[in-house]
Amino acid sequence: MRTGTQAEACDYKGKIMESFDIVVIGAGPGGYPAAIRAAQLGASVAIVEREQFGGTCLNWGCIPTKALIATADLYQHIRHAEALGITVKGASLDYAVMIGHKNQVVEKMRGGVKQLLTANGVKQFVGTASFKDRNTIEIAPVAQASLPVPGKSATGTAACATNQQIGAKKVIVATGSTSAVPGFLPKHPRIVESRGFLDLDKLPESLLVLGGGYIGCELACMAAQCGVKVTIVELLEDILLLLDPDVRREVRGHMEQQLGIRVLTGKALEKIAADDKGVRGQCGDETLKAQLLLVSVGRKPVTDGLKLENAGLKTSERGFIEADEYGRTKVATIYAIGDVTGKTQLAHYATAQAIVAASNACGRELQKHDTLVPGVIFTSPEVALVGITEQDAKKQGRTIKTGKFRFGGLGRAMAVNETVGFVKWIADEATDQLLGAAAVGPHATELIAEATAAIRSESTAAELGNTIHAHPTFSEVWMEAAHALHGDAIHAPPKKRK
Amino acid sequence: MATPIIMPKFGQMTEESAIVEWRKKEGDKVAKGDILFTVETDKSVMEVESFEEGTLLKIAVPPGVNVPVQSTVGFLGNPGEAIPQVTAPAAAAKSAVVGPLPSAGVPVPAAEAPSPAPREVTRPTTAPASVTSAATSAPSVFRISPRARALAKRMVIDPSSIKGSGPSGRIVENDIVAHLKARGYDKLRITPAAKELAAKQSIDLLGITPSDGGRIAVADVERAIAERPKTMSKMRQVIAQRLQQSVVTSPHFYVTVEVDMTDLVRFRSQLKEQGAPYTITDFIAEAVVLALKEFPDVNSTTDGRTVRWHSRVHLGLAVSLEQGLVVPAIRDADQLSLAELNQRAKELADKARSGKLTPDEMTGSTFTISNMGMLDVEDFTAIINPGESAILAVSSTRKKPVVRDDKVVVRQIMKITLSSDHRIIDGAMAARFVNAIRAKLEDVELWKRLAG
Repeated sequence: MRTGTQAEACDYKGKIMESFDIVVIGAGPGGYPAAIRAAQLGASVAIVEREQFGGTCLNWGCIPTKALIATADLYQHIRHAEALGITVKGASLDYAVMIGHKNQVVEKMRGGVKQLLTANGVKQFVGTASFKDRNTIEIAPVAQASLPVPGKSATGTAACATNQQIGAKKVIVATGSTSAVPGFLPKHPRIVESRGFLDLDKLPESLLVLGGGYIGCELACMAAQCGVKVTIVELLEDILLLLDPDVRREVRGHMEQQLGIRVLTGKALEKIAADDKGVRGQCGDETLKAQLLLVSVGRKPVTDGLKLENAGLKTSERGFIEADEYGRTKVATIYAIGDVTGKTQLAHYATAQAIVAASNACGRELQKHDTLVPGVIFTSPEVALVGITEQDAKKQGRTIKTGKFRFGGLGRAMAVNETVGFVKWIADEATDQLLGAAAVGPHATELIAEATAAIRSESTAAELGNTIHAHPTFSEVWMEAAHALHGDAIHAPPKKRK
Repeated sequence: MATPIIMPKFGQMTEESAIVEWRKKEGDKVAKGDILFTVETDKSVMEVESFEEGTLLKIAVPPGVNVPVQSTVGFLGNPGEAIPQVTAPAAAAKSAVVGPLPSAGVPVPAAEAPSPAPREVTRPTTAPASVTSAATSAPSVFRISPRARALAKRMVIDPSSIKGSGPSGRIVENDIVAHLKARGYDKLRITPAAKELAAKQSIDLLGITPSDGGRIAVADVERAIAERPKTMSKMRQVIAQRLQQSVVTSPHFYVTVEVDMTDLVRFRSQLKEQGAPYTITDFIAEAVVLALKEFPDVNSTTDGRTVRWHSRVHLGLAVSLEQGLVVPAIRDADQLSLAELNQRAKELADKARSGKLTPDEMTGSTFTISNMGMLDVEDFTAIINPGESAILAVSSTRKKPVVRDDKVVVRQIMKITLSSDHRIIDGAMAARFVNAIRAKLEDVELWKRLAG
């Protein structure tokens, strides 16, 4: 008998009680799909999570931020709808309600993940997993405070007060990443990283954001739309540096001019101090003050407590668990996926890695995961990109051509009064192959899907331009930009000949 | 009046050369001593400096075209000066095109091939050794109708292997259609970008197997491009041709002996501490020179009917380069002291590595040493340098258990293998010769006299 009840499971202290084909460590967007896929393929599967099912994405990342951003965006629209004939007097925002909505969404989805795991026969453990050896995982109980709310844990979740061990033929490590908080920052309630920020019950009047990456910029935009006075300080020469300069300019311009965010780049924030009244820091000659400091300077892998050395596995210099495109680590029975592998740190990439690694771990025909990963940034305006950028092409010495089209030239965008931004195709000069795309503007994060499919199928700009796009829709922008790449867009004036 | 730029003559044997790369563009200012272009000769790539000052007015010979030495390849002068009409050098018309050739069987219109002047297409070609098929080098035998050619191009296939059903075997449209059908073209699936790339690079789609069994993707076409035959460098071609000739004409046999280098290695370390520059290679070279004096037949060559003895030893030293192999020769090695031999060997090796050897320094050796000691090898055999009768292959020196006075002791052992041309050298002579070399290397007293 494999599946013992919770009570039985706790009786055997320190002994291997149960054994599984696959044990997944971490139940985020990498871990839980891996567990489900392995179960679908007929394996006996256990999953161990030390915090919340759904991981960072569901609890403190993608989902909760989008809940808040959607509300902030709607609030912004309501307040600026006069041009469309809507005047709302006395519109106000109750942040506590916003947070309540967010929590409700998160809780519902978390329950959904557990239900799916249970429905697929995946045994769930709550605790901190560590390697006893390659094929044995020890699960230590976690402090009561961070356990799921008592009585709310879904059936099939085993939490116990003492250490227990489970056997594993194969292990998939999906422990993810966490916000990096530099050591020089004082510990104070007024200094938070993204996770702490999402649990605030009210917004500060002023916010200082350290780090102009996508997390910092998304939350800065959200806060600004809610009326917070926001200043971003970025050490590098610009915010969102992975984007091409023209795309960056568009977002930054909008953030500064429309949302009133102050963006300071190429400068360090030094002498950071916090007290009951607020936080302050020195930025060049200027002392910046705010009620709250959000630290968003990057993410670091989570491997603490895993005791990888017991399995003969080492982390890389930067702390990641290296895995190849099949999800395999240097130890044959151990796979790693998601943020902890140090590749693109995005939930959907983790999921893609997960599904392939689970199948490979189950002994199916070896598959590689895809490497064409779209990236989406929920700033205002939204930004998305896939494939190579112009900057990448330059570094690789590729000869490319680009085609751009502004949303302002689209009927639909005009009609709904969302005309900020553009899309851009990057294609191989010689073969017309679509290599990359960027979108900044309305629904950019949705629109990028078409570009991703086109690039993955090795389409050419000509093929895409000849694909009929429904009118009037935002998606027409890709078709127009593909034409623009050949200099024959219908809805843009011809380029002046030199 | 513009001054012509002349293709220089490198060495006695060179009759024609090709420019590898023009370092200056038309219109560039040129100072005296500036590198104008680089030239590939049989053996190396040489830099050609300008003797004059001025502006590069015209490039008459593009890179990759063989022209006779002493012919005009461009003009130098003041901007706006009249440039004389260039008459095509005779050799250039022989379609001696070096550099990347079109892949086998893809017909290339004559106009696309680089050519300094109108080509004499009618002239029978003295076909250069290359992968070019009859279809490419002699367009006259490949007959195809324009419609058939257009269809083949549209389908991105290579029609050259198709048997034509038209008059004189001319390929007509129906032949292409039948070929596509027979080869299952309609079952082929290909991504749009892959098709564009294949068309641009003249890759036959029918010759590509998709890696995942599905659609032909860009990666598959890129693989086909990478696998396409490429013309070897001139140096590589020369190596190929000469070593082939050697193996075919000289019946090789091999004799290996172990040399106990312990004493010599120790002596050399002592010398080194005293600041003497000698390398192990120098001792081997000197030992060979001394042995050759005792065995004149080994320092002789034969054409199969006559034997020619060389009164002097010109010692070739094989030097490996990134692009291939050169054998600079130490002339009159038998007349040099050990110190002079060391000096000359070092000079030539440095020149070889920096590509500065003159062709005369790379010819005329009478015996060659190939030393792979630094490459950690147990034993190997070498192919005789054409025009010589033997070559000595020197392997790494390693500590080994050997028997001395019925006891097993650890000594520094180096294997040397002599490859001999059996037409002139018999087994016994080869054995005596390598043993003579060994005896000299093991005689540390000899070296104390020579190096002292």
